Amino acid sequence: MELPLLVKVLAAATGIAMLIGARTAAGAVIYASVKDQHGKPVADTVVSVTPLDPKNALRTKPPAVVIDQVDKQFVAYVTPIYVGSRVRFPNNDNVRHQVYSFSPAKRFDLPLYAGTDAPPVLFDKPGVVVLGCNIHDWMIGYIYVSETPFFTKTGSAGTASLEDMPSGDYLVKIWHPRMDGTEVATTRSATVGAVTPVNLEWQITLKPSFRIPRVSGAASPGYP
Amino acid sequence: MPAAARSGLSPRRIQSSVATLNAVLSAILLVGVPDLARSDWTLGTDTQLRHDNNVGNAGDYDDIVGDTIFDARLSIFQLFPLGENYSLSVGGDLSGESYDRLKGLNNASLGGALAVKRKWGLGAYAPWVRIGLSIARSDYNDDYRNATVYRTTLSAGQRLDERWNVWAEYAYERRAASGQPELVPGISGDAYSQVNQKLSGNAEYALDERTFLVFGFLLRYGDVVSTAEPSLGIFSVSRAIAADPAFGPDEYAYKLPGTTFGFSVGINYSPTSHNLLGIGFQRLDTHADGGNSYTKSIPEISWNYRF
Repeated sequence: MELPLLVKVLAAATGIAMLIGARTAAGAVIYASVKDQHGKPVADTVVSVTPLDPKNALRTKPPAVVIDQVDKQFVAYVTPIYVGSRVRFPNNDNVRHQVYSFSPAKRFDLPLYAGTDAPPVLFDKPGVVVLGCNIHDWMIGYIYVSETPFFTKTGSAGTASLEDMPSGDYLVKIWHPRMDGTEVATTRSATVGAVTPVNLEWQITLKPSFRIPRVSGAASPGYP
Repeated sequence: MPAAARSGLSPRRIQSSVATLNAVLSAILLVGVPDLARSDWTLGTDTQLRHDNNVGNAGDYDDIVGDTIFDARLSIFQLFPLGENYSLSVGGDLSGESYDRLKGLNNASLGGALAVKRKWGLGAYAPWVRIGLSIARSDYNDDYRNATVYRTTLSAGQRLDERWNVWAEYAYERRAASGQPELVPGISGDAYSQVNQKLSGNAEYALDERTFLVFGFLLRYGDVVSTAEPSLGIFSVSRAIAADPAFGPDEYAYKLPGTTFGFSVGINYSPTSHNLLGIGFQRLDTHADGGNSYTKSIPEISWNYRF
């Protein structure tokens, strides 16, 4: 039995609409580009995207995150995570480390340990957590605990992208450890549509960095 | 420049010193490097080129001898945490100094050190105190300077903020050299054994992420050894007198009590996280008994590497 033409047209239209809907629901991309006051790309900038429609704030289970310790440095230097994530701090150096933080978003201390079996740490409060090692003063790292599940960080080219964003309106902001000014001041509005990517650019002022030197002069107290 | 200073030492003795140095260095590397792969051993090297415009601490212009010195140090230590706030470090170092002109002063040293450090709190900004003991044996090309050096230190410091780091140290040092025969009846010939107390204060200021200014002052009290030709002024207040052929056939080392004031300034640059390059200047002003005073200025360049 042949279907009436109207039914065929409706079926085809429904199919097309479903395809478009699928792309709309999870297909758009937000591109972010961050440069400093000299026009140079800024790596390790966290880009966080907060949906204005709460339905778009998908509550997925936070993934397990790893921050390694290699050559007496935290790897990565900046790690964005979703609030509620547990982070493991394996030690892949041949010396022991004592990882700690005094940050209000998370205070913790992993007593001196070697190997990769240190218990994971739960980060249940949004904010910036500054990591240190009590043995190696120059070791410093940052965890950005995001209250939105949509975040990424820029690479060496100063760019980052968030793919498969649901359509809707968002607030997009950035954070960098050396950024002069507040994170809130960087907030931009963005409307994510069906297929057209959203391009956002920032130019931020980076404060001078004063990281503790790893090597001390012969007259310095140095390490240990 | 005295003739003996230019003459230096025999090739055979040089070969012996180099062979000893190589043997000890090889032993340290053979023992130390495998351990590096599985424990908290930390290895570092420090090299320095400096010019001392008054090596012999002489007061009179005619006695002053300047020289350029290259020194290198290989150090290795292990850290043992002792409870929450204390740590113990145990280590050793092998070092050598090479003089451009005063070959008799070329030396190699092998030493061991032990230190206990206490930190009040966690992190880079916690104040700390450290007590250290060390012993080192120095072997000179001119054997009469050979000595064992015992050193006790008490140091304390704190990183005040991201730019400023300050520390101070008190050191008591005893240098036990081989006794020399009495040249003058009734006056000891042990001029190369010395006892000193030293107080120093230092500050480091970060100009940016890689560049650091360093400042220091020094106050030292104790024995000073001044090498000069015989004169009544220095002879009458000397505690010990010995021949010092490294500086010349008519040169004598006089040990006398004195106080040294000094300051140092420098700038360090860290091109990579493991390296530190430095340029510095040190000025020392010593006032010894009997109105014997001398000064010395030491510009230097340095390279430090930590593995």
